Amino acid sequence: MTNPQLELRAVTKHYDDGRVEALRGVDLSVCAGEFVTISGPSGSGKSTILHLMGGLATPTTGTVLFQNALLGAASDTDTYRSQHVGFIFQAFHLLPTLSAIENVQVPMMAAKGADRNAERAETLLRGVGMENRLHHFPNELSAGERQRVAIARALANSPSILLADEPTGNLDTENSARIMKILTGIQMERGMTLIVVTHENDIADSAPRHIRIRDGRIES
Amino acid sequence: MAMGAFVGLVGFSHSFELAWRQMYSNSGTDIAVVPQTFLNTSVNQSGLDKLRTLPVVGEVAPMIFSFMALSADVNALAYGWTADSFEFNAISMIAGRHFRDGQPEIILGELLADSLKKHAGDTLEIQGSNFNVVGVFHGGSALEAGAVIMPLDQMQKLSSLEGKVTAFHVRLKPAPIGESSDHYMARSQASIEAALPGLRAVPAVERASNNQLVLLAHATAWGTSSIALLIGILGIANTMAMSVFERTREIGVLRALGWNSRRVLLLIQIEAAALGLAGGLLGIAFGSLALRVLAHLPQTANVVSASFPIPILAEALAIAILAGLLAGIVPAWRGARLSPVEALRYD
Repeated sequence: MTNPQLELRAVTKHYDDGRVEALRGVDLSVCAGEFVTISGPSGSGKSTILHLMGGLATPTTGTVLFQNALLGAASDTDTYRSQHVGFIFQAFHLLPTLSAIENVQVPMMAAKGADRNAERAETLLRGVGMENRLHHFPNELSAGERQRVAIARALANSPSILLADEPTGNLDTENSARIMKILTGIQMERGMTLIVVTHENDIADSAPRHIRIRDGRIES
Repeated sequence: MAMGAFVGLVGFSHSFELAWRQMYSNSGTDIAVVPQTFLNTSVNQSGLDKLRTLPVVGEVAPMIFSFMALSADVNALAYGWTADSFEFNAISMIAGRHFRDGQPEIILGELLADSLKKHAGDTLEIQGSNFNVVGVFHGGSALEAGAVIMPLDQMQKLSSLEGKVTAFHVRLKPAPIGESSDHYMARSQASIEAALPGLRAVPAVERASNNQLVLLAHATAWGTSSIALLIGILGIANTMAMSVFERTREIGVLRALGWNSRRVLLLIQIEAAALGLAGGLLGIAFGSLALRVLAHLPQTANVVSASFPIPILAEALAIAILAGLLAGIVPAWRGARLSPVEALRYD
């Protein structure tokens, strides 16, 4: 295996003062450009893995490494998120008071020296087929359209890693397929690392690498 | 509301001060000679002769001013001047004539005449004494336009201040060629104070800002509006705390998208400042409306001008923004400290 881009070493994560053990010693490596799906029952810890990889949370014990550097200690996790990671959520999480194009510009404001102009945001929205909805607000968009805006937003700062937490969880079959097609297309075209957490077997099995997790441990 | 109270009250006190400045400026007063401490409110009129002998002094106008209730609902500033006072330069008669010394005669500012519905030829009872209204004048400031002026001797009787005056207003002779106006003013002050021990010679502009009525108006305005401001700050803090609470998930999204806690803090503080600014603008509208109303009420029309000085507007806006920023500190700190994961999970 080549050098991992992201690595979890003996990671545990506890919540509620140790009463909830979300992860119980996880070792996981993901190489740059890989498409990985993580599946498992509710509460198995799959979203926690995504949060740790995205620098949104820190492990209780163990380490998370990005390009062999400790995440959360040596590197600033805010900078890491703004420069290297794009998040896609099940509930889209678009800001309701901003239009589609403005939502895409939000991450650009966090990146140092980032080109935050509307032109780039428009290009990204065109890339996901939203060129006719640039100035629509989230409540004027369908669920599938909202998720496409969220994908464009995740790409705002040209990250090398896309982390998608149940990206099709709120979509019908047709839109789910469309979103997955867009995500895998982006992954192939840009050579990005794509990690998708899902509970849908067909999506989980569509990736070259599928990780199953149960009770905070990797099964396979 | 808090900013409205601030704007209205402080605007009131500043317009009051402005009117004093205007009054001194209109009359050409350079220096006011007043008691050295606030414990004394009057000075002996005998100092007048000494003042007139000083080489720097051009003219001296002894005067008394007092705030008087002229009727159940009309209060006004009352001045006692001598008939030959240079203070008359500050006003112009629009009906009737000047009063004469030693006579129970008064002249009324146009605003006051209007409030009292009095004209030249009428009589007016002031504190049990009847006065003939011999003229109505136009004053350059609200303090004059809403004032009653009577002979100094009559005012002394009415105020039980025989032989005493509130102040001497002095017009200086022109400064000698080559002497700066500041130096001449300082030298003139020193010369007057040396000639009249126990009295202070205060430049007119300074006197306009620190006479007892203006200081009292300022203190009342700031004291009351500070309480209103405190309530306003608590109101904004509550609004911002609610806003942060309701937008917890939004803050989580921003953190997930790479916004650091400093940027989140800044966002909330900008919103709080904007809220303060909006409150300030509304307050200015409300306060200026209140001033306009006060300027037309018979009880206050004589001392309030509806004009609103630009520095007060700027001051009010600055205070409103500062209040917003202060109110935003705790909510912003809380928002910035939110864990992104917890915030994203928040329903």
